[in-house]
Amino acid sequence: MLFSRRLMLGLAMAGSMAGALALPAHAGEGPTEIDLFFPVPVDGKLARDMGTLIKEFNDGHPDIKATAVYTGSYDDTLIKTRASIKAGKPPAAVIMSANFLLDMQIENELTNLDPLIKADGSTKEQFLGQFFPALSGNAVINRSVYGVPFQNSTPLLYINADKAKEAGLDPNKPPQTWAELTDWAKKLTKREGDKVTQWGIAIPCAYDYCGWMMETLTMTNGGRYYNEEFGGEVYYDTPSMLGALTWWSDLVSKHKVHPPGATPGPAVSTSFISGNAAMMMLSTGSLTYVRENAKFNYKVAFIPRNVRNAVPIGGASLIIPAGVEADKQKAAWTLIKWMTSPEKSAWWSRATGYFAPNMAAYKTPDMVDFLNKNPDAKIAVEQLDVAKPWFATYKTVPVRKNLEDEVMLVLNGKKQPKEALVAAQKAADETLKPYNAETSLKLP
Amino acid sequence: MKLIDALYKDAPLATRNEITPKLGFLLTILLALAWLIPFLWMGVATLRPSSDGINLMAELMPSLKPTLDNIRDAWEIGDFPRYFLNTTIICTGILLVQFVTITLAGFAFARLDFAGKTPIFYLFLMQLMLVPVLLIVPNLSLVVQLGLYDTLAGVMMPFFASAFGTFLMRQAFEAIPTELEDAALIDGASLIQRIRHIYVPLSLPSFSAFAIISVTSHWNDFLWPLMVINSPDKRPLTVGLSVFTKTAEGTQDWGTIAAGTLMVIAPLLVTFLIFQKRFISSFVTSGIK
Repeated sequence: MLFSRRLMLGLAMAGSMAGALALPAHAGEGPTEIDLFFPVPVDGKLARDMGTLIKEFNDGHPDIKATAVYTGSYDDTLIKTRASIKAGKPPAAVIMSANFLLDMQIENELTNLDPLIKADGSTKEQFLGQFFPALSGNAVINRSVYGVPFQNSTPLLYINADKAKEAGLDPNKPPQTWAELTDWAKKLTKREGDKVTQWGIAIPCAYDYCGWMMETLTMTNGGRYYNEEFGGEVYYDTPSMLGALTWWSDLVSKHKVHPPGATPGPAVSTSFISGNAAMMMLSTGSLTYVRENAKFNYKVAFIPRNVRNAVPIGGASLIIPAGVEADKQKAAWTLIKWMTSPEKSAWWSRATGYFAPNMAAYKTPDMVDFLNKNPDAKIAVEQLDVAKPWFATYKTVPVRKNLEDEVMLVLNGKKQPKEALVAAQKAADETLKPYNAETSLKLP
Repeated sequence: MKLIDALYKDAPLATRNEITPKLGFLLTILLALAWLIPFLWMGVATLRPSSDGINLMAELMPSLKPTLDNIRDAWEIGDFPRYFLNTTIICTGILLVQFVTITLAGFAFARLDFAGKTPIFYLFLMQLMLVPVLLIVPNLSLVVQLGLYDTLAGVMMPFFASAFGTFLMRQAFEAIPTELEDAALIDGASLIQRIRHIYVPLSLPSFSAFAIISVTSHWNDFLWPLMVINSPDKRPLTVGLSVFTKTAEGTQDWGTIAAGTLMVIAPLLVTFLIFQKRFISSFVTSGIK
């Protein structure tokens, strides 16, 4: 109809034919056009930053014309990418939530990047060597590279330093264990009668975030959330997760220092910025927002432990979907390498608050300067020493939701942790059944 | 109570002193206020400078130093005039084709006799029970095969036939006395002429009720346009706006969101205010409440 693609194609072809006739010496077919799907996980202004980044790439690469296609949240991006692969129109590259890679690889929806790395005269080890080792877990599947880390995060503990001082706590010695954190949260909660005017701590629980926070708490409680080697098993009904969920639920219903119910990320960051919550656990991806909006002194610290220090990786990697033509694959690879280079990686990190996955980014002069001015940006990088891969299984999103639905019921006071976890395990086992039937339970 | 008395001065003499209508008015005013508050907040938040900080964000009192910064920010992030145009094209395109298809289909189910009429009608209605998400992949494959991927026509296509509209028109047409059609038949009117001159004019309220439902639902649709459209210049408003509002890792700039939302709903709101009376009467006469 109005802007039908055929019409546009026709016009473009007519145009290029006219161009070819006028300039017979020029034999080129024009730039390779590629689409990059990108979600905006943190703040609307990032869409503008992404525009700047892609424009710079196109200006420097006249043979490629990349278009940045905004694709909603991480979950929406997965839906759109899958639908476009099935419909035979895959984009050349996607910024994909790092934990969706395993599921996509199982479904044969990813391009193996090994040949592209080899064609550059590099080895897998050299290529992965640029990035923080903790990120490999979500990028390498069966010893092949399927994703390139681009914007990555770990959860952090944010503390309102002014309120801490007011309550007689030393913000330079942040809580290191759950016991200390509970104690801080109690001291930082203010009540007028039955009404709470200031919460001690807030931890987000909404789809996507909730699973990530449960993984964080379970890991600091000594546990594992899923089988890192195999996509068919999750460990929901285990002592380490029961302890984690019970502690979280105690903060809400026993100590009453955490707002009840399932709170989405933006509500948590808003209440922290407004002084309504004195501490919060949130992604380092929110750091730039907090820095720009907090009207008080704040501190960023490691996630406190019960048994050990550990955090999951978050954020997104660049992938090439299956079924992309060879010339577009090559162009996409050029774009991916450019976007993950030390300079661009560092620039994106400063714009967003995500840490830069490329280790050399921290040696660029701009970044050294930036870290001197904003030492809080170092914490996420320091935490990488104890970081583990992000939850990834067959059918990651439904399996994640199996747990999240139950955790929300617990935080709403409608279920006890034990029965919730039993239910979550049962639902997840059911979701994972087809994959296990094909793999671990398929006996010779 | 003065306000109510003022509103009440046109009421018939006999009811002027009764208490129940007064309570009704009071309730209406309360409901109107409850409806108005989010809009009021949106307006206030749009004009609030970010220097006010997030503490004041939830307040309904306007800032003393209003600013247009948020509107400028939202305007810069998205090409809103273009999004408006795209959404308008999508909604009008869908509606125009729907008018033709639901009239013909509704007439067929109401007045024509053909084999398997009832089962076919029920099959048609079953479409109402399908979750649109289920159809995303098959619909998208079809759109690609037709060469309509990344076009506005591709966004519109799946909605050209409407089960709800067909059902609505069937009900409307069935309510029209067959004698009128018989008279036209005697005068030698063709099938199309009978539809055009008898059924359509007598069902106008149903058509406008359907138009409201169709336009608002497609104006608000997010997932399907997100699937079909890649080019930034073909985005509709919802996809453009979601750049501000869809976040996973937990930050939001409320001022810009309010400004963006205001820009998106303003045209619908203005249309509603202008055609308010007509909308309400069409719903009342068509029997959807």
